[in-house]
Amino acid sequence: MTAAAIRFDSVTCRYGRRTAVDRVDLDIAAGEHVALTGANGSGKTTLLRAALGLHPTAGGTISVGGTPADSRSEWTRRRRDVAWVPQRLTPGRFPLLVDELLDSGGDPAAARAAANQLGVAGLGSRPLHTLSGGQLQRVFLARALGAVAAGARALFADEPTAALDFDGQEQVATLLARLPVTVVVVSHDRAMSRACDRVAEMAAGKLRVV
Amino acid sequence: MDGFLDLLTLPAVQRSAIGLLIAAVGLPIVGVFIIGLDIIAVRFAMMHVALLGIAVGLLTGLDPMLCGLAACALAGAGVAPLARRPTGLPGAMGLLMTFAIAAALLVLSVSGVNATGAFELLWGSILATRDIDLYVLGALALVVHVLFWRWRRQLALLLFDRELALCSGVAAGPLLLALLVVIAVAIGASIRLTGALLVDALTILPALGARNLGRSLRSMVAWAIALGITGNSIGFVVALLLDQPPGPVLVLVAGTLTLLTYLIPEGARDAIDPGRRAGRGGDPVSAGQRMWQH
Repeated sequence: MTAAAIRFDSVTCRYGRRTAVDRVDLDIAAGEHVALTGANGSGKTTLLRAALGLHPTAGGTISVGGTPADSRSEWTRRRRDVAWVPQRLTPGRFPLLVDELLDSGGDPAAARAAANQLGVAGLGSRPLHTLSGGQLQRVFLARALGAVAAGARALFADEPTAALDFDGQEQVATLLARLPVTVVVVSHDRAMSRACDRVAEMAAGKLRVV
Repeated sequence: MDGFLDLLTLPAVQRSAIGLLIAAVGLPIVGVFIIGLDIIAVRFAMMHVALLGIAVGLLTGLDPMLCGLAACALAGAGVAPLARRPTGLPGAMGLLMTFAIAAALLVLSVSGVNATGAFELLWGSILATRDIDLYVLGALALVVHVLFWRWRRQLALLLFDRELALCSGVAAGPLLLALLVVIAVAIGASIRLTGALLVDALTILPALGARNLGRSLRSMVAWAIALGITGNSIGFVVALLLDQPPGPVLVLVAGTLTLLTYLIPEGARDAIDPGRRAGRGGDPVSAGQRMWQH
């Protein structure tokens, strides 16, 4: 077994007094694809957000590439190392063009190519708030693939197929399965879980089955 | 008509016109930032913060207006950390306003200065524009443009969604800090230069109109400046022709232009913004295709 590319070591996260993630330990090898499943509110999204520094940890450490993140520069490096497809695909409070989003991922050319493959080419001059949920999800995925092309070592995707039709779910599952980087995907989608090397299930903040 | 032309030869009127032109080029961008951060109450907050600074200046013997601007800059920097909270900035403006006015009145009481007198220091009029005011406005407009053009991509992401900006490598904290300081100082200085009422016409109203017409940060800024120049030009000419105070006339003209943007149907908006029709994005590029198309 190679050293863990991503290590969650007794990670705890809270919302006020409520514990959302409770002493989670999880090692993920380099290049391994892990599906994170579990009921709504079981802490999956919070765990991923904590790994990106978007939610504070109340205990434990999260290492990517053997390095925890403590300083601002380390968090910046972490976010460059990990491509992200957010769960809440908010249309945002301000206009942002699809092209601007694709350019923000690291490799705009690769992001556009991925957008083409995902069937959302030609939307470049559209503001995000004018897209459907499925289009928005594909555009965010294309952006993340651009980040991987730019050198991100891992991809975190939070329910990346939730707004897609069946064909779209299969397509994205196949696309992610081909990625040569570590992938952690939160999903309720069976096609996605089948495409992963391992399934980890969370329940009430705890990692129950690995 | 001759009377109007005669008015244009007056140095005070010329300075006012130049001031309005400079303001129309710079301040609408500040308005776009304000709307993007959802802090329309910032004008009221900064008015009270500036008053607190003036009160401190009067108490200590330092230049009251410089103290007012310094207080605005500090307040802008002080509220930046609250942006991490979901409802942080809009709520912070209300808190800031209340704290500042209470502290200002207390400091004025201690220094024995009449509060009305201190308020008058804060109030300006576009017709009373001095040469130094034009330099200050020019410097402000320059700083605002440099901030926008140098960091426009990062600003577009930050104003869209802070977390997306963070995950795109944007130094969201420092950028937001810079944004809030620039907004605070611009508002504080503009109130002194143009009067509190006119600040809205120069900042918020063009940005609100641009929000209806632009579909990206860049096009919003372009529309905001265009609306600012149009509104200021028409408003100032109308005020001179009707021999009325420029402030209210400028606000009414800017407000009317903004109102018109709400009445434009979506289809017509597409027609006046070529970028809306163009499908220029999403072209497949060979470098990226090598990786994804097996």
